[in-house]
Amino acid sequence: MTVSDFRRSASEFWREFRKVRSGVFGLIFLAIFICILIFEPLIVPYPEANEKWRDITYWQDLPSSAPPSWINLFTSKKRAVSESIEEYAFSETLAGAMRIQEYVFEYDYSASVAPSDVVFHASGVGKPTVVISIQRPDGLSIDLYRKQLEMSPTQDARVSIDRSAQTAAMNFGKKYSPSEGVQLQTIKTTDVLFSEAKQGIFRSPSPLVGIYKLKVTLLLQKAEEKIEDAFVTVAGRVHGILGTDNSKRDIWSGVIAGVKWAMLIGLLTALVSVSIGVVYGVISAYVGGWKDSLMQRIFEIFISVPMLPVLIVMSAVFKPNIWVMIGIMCIFYWVGPVKTVRSMGLQIKEETYIEASRALGASNTRIIFKHMVPLLIPYAFASMALNVPGAIVVEATISLLGLGDATIVTWGQILQAANSGGAMLSGMWWWVVPPGMAIAFMGMTFAFVGFAMDKILNPKLKTR
Amino acid sequence: MTEKIIEVKDLQKWFPIRRSISQFFKGEHNYVKAVDGISFSINRGEIFGLVGESGCGKTTTGKLIMKLLEPTEGTMFLNGEDVTHIEKDELKRYRRNVQMIFQDPYASMNPRFKIRDVMEEPLIIHKLGEDRDARMKMIEKALMEVKLNPPDEFLVRYPHMLSGGQRQRAATARTLLLNPELLVADEPVSMIDLSTRAEILHMMKEVQRDLGLTYLYITHDLSTARYFTDRIAVMYLGKIIEIGDPDDVIDNPVHPYTRALIAAVCEPVAGKVNKPKVVPIKGEIPSAANIPKGCRFHPRCPYAKEECWEKEEPQLQEIEDGHFHACRRWKEVVEEAGRG
Repeated sequence: MTVSDFRRSASEFWREFRKVRSGVFGLIFLAIFICILIFEPLIVPYPEANEKWRDITYWQDLPSSAPPSWINLFTSKKRAVSESIEEYAFSETLAGAMRIQEYVFEYDYSASVAPSDVVFHASGVGKPTVVISIQRPDGLSIDLYRKQLEMSPTQDARVSIDRSAQTAAMNFGKKYSPSEGVQLQTIKTTDVLFSEAKQGIFRSPSPLVGIYKLKVTLLLQKAEEKIEDAFVTVAGRVHGILGTDNSKRDIWSGVIAGVKWAMLIGLLTALVSVSIGVVYGVISAYVGGWKDSLMQRIFEIFISVPMLPVLIVMSAVFKPNIWVMIGIMCIFYWVGPVKTVRSMGLQIKEETYIEASRALGASNTRIIFKHMVPLLIPYAFASMALNVPGAIVVEATISLLGLGDATIVTWGQILQAANSGGAMLSGMWWWVVPPGMAIAFMGMTFAFVGFAMDKILNPKLKTR
Repeated sequence: MTEKIIEVKDLQKWFPIRRSISQFFKGEHNYVKAVDGISFSINRGEIFGLVGESGCGKTTTGKLIMKLLEPTEGTMFLNGEDVTHIEKDELKRYRRNVQMIFQDPYASMNPRFKIRDVMEEPLIIHKLGEDRDARMKMIEKALMEVKLNPPDEFLVRYPHMLSGGQRQRAATARTLLLNPELLVADEPVSMIDLSTRAEILHMMKEVQRDLGLTYLYITHDLSTARYFTDRIAVMYLGKIIEIGDPDDVIDNPVHPYTRALIAAVCEPVAGKVNKPKVVPIKGEIPSAANIPKGCRFHPRCPYAKEECWEKEEPQLQEIEDGHFHACRRWKEVVEEAGRG
């Protein structure tokens, strides 16, 4: 086939394809998925989500179990949004040999629910003493934290107010609401810090909006000690496009990172298994006789072994990576097109041109691959598209059972984490729905494309 | 002494058919005896016609000679060499010497191949021609030989863009590329318009003369057989029942079946419109799975007497030089037919 022939048959196919509306929808979705795949680093806030999915430190500045930010649009009680404050007022004073560096970060708090954490970050070298205090819009100032930091080029300083200033918050609250009996463990630091200083600050706080000044004072004793890149992150009560899970992971990043794995699993499994199935079916049809019977019995053995239990057992025993899993799926999926292809092959092999080719001296290999397989390629493509969702769902199932590849992030694994993290019980729908929808959409995409191709390429289904 | 290019002796092809369980345990076998012991030879440079009605085994014979089927019994010799059971490389070599033109030019080429690819296939298979250019030169030459002019125009077309006659020419050209000695032509013109038939046969004859080919021409059409062949054999139910010079066989038929076959030929003769022809034959051809005892033609033969089904099957006998037949009562038949 030359290029122009190919172009002509492709345009013919496209003209037919356009008429099948579901197929066009499928193509649009497919295009969207491919765009996501290409632009993944640009659209996710945490591009290393795939590699660092199980790395707690990568996610530690995020809020835990936070719903998506856009739910603020639907509630009257606005929740604080995650943000990062990189601007500060800096001043340095000398006291003898000691340098006193002061960073003042301004945080404009305007929501009704306080952020879940405020974290100070800095990199540098040395062991400076850090003193952190906060100045509230009502003029009150609270000393939050005082400690010696240890910093080296490999170790950055990180101070979480929520964790380290609990006692300070309790003492502050007790001053203004002495009658409330609370215990240290039950106090949410930020709730106290960002509330009006009055009776009931612990149990029914009312937010104090305005500019908060976070003053970070660092005492540097030695000349070689230095501080760089100081910034503050505010972990909100809502986060990003799809919120976070209970391990503080950004679900949007995870779902988007899952696209490529779903595509890989689906397409590779479909490609390999359908190719094997088509060739097997054609050979079986072509050789005929007892060899055909034998090949069909082998096929029946494979088709009657239930894939999922085998896959579950194999996964549990061998802890396979994604490639092994694709391989195992191929072992079970290749049977899909065999029967149809064999019946088509039986028909094709009776064509005179096959006999003519044989009379010319063509080898069996040549007849199978030059004359028979090309006729089955359209069917193979449709069959591939229809096999993709199955493979994705199977991988998700295996992952949902906690047996997936632990080095990547797939939708099934997000769902598994949601399941074991009690997302259902605590109403964390943003943890369950997006990966589920993604699986459904990806499956739908390929099913639509496959059905449309099937409709066009399978003459039996043609209705006019 | 003319040289025999191919000789078959007592060639048989029996296709096994499904047995019932009781037959299986009794060890009985059922066969369709498509070809049931035929012997003939074809001389170099000759056009040998094999004539018979559909289902008589003539196509099976063609396929046996083409080695698309394995014979059940009998032997085949090509240029004196035993080729009854050959495999792989020998078979490939055999296929360079013996080629086939198929009945249906619409089906004998892969519809997805261009004529160029169709023609190139035998060259690729037999590794002829060093590169594509060399192969294209050979193809063009072959296409010229079959009068497909200019070749370039046809090379880029698909088979469906050619007329039936053009396709059969292309199919012939494809077989010629391998320089075969023997061409098996299985009803090469039966699917072609009447108006083009003569042209194609003429072309085939010309090619034969140019290249010194030998044809095995298989047909059900006596009129083209007479026009085209040097010798014809009439087949009935897997056996040859008459062989001879075409003029001899058609003008002086001996076997009652040959007579019937000749009588059945339609002729557009003025004044004979709408007059049904009297065909001296009754009934349908019996199943090859259940061949009648004695002379296999007796149930349909108007001249059959007791001896025809009581005695064993008659063998080919010569009545004059090169004219053989297999009828026990041939003298009576010729007499009776002559009377009336």
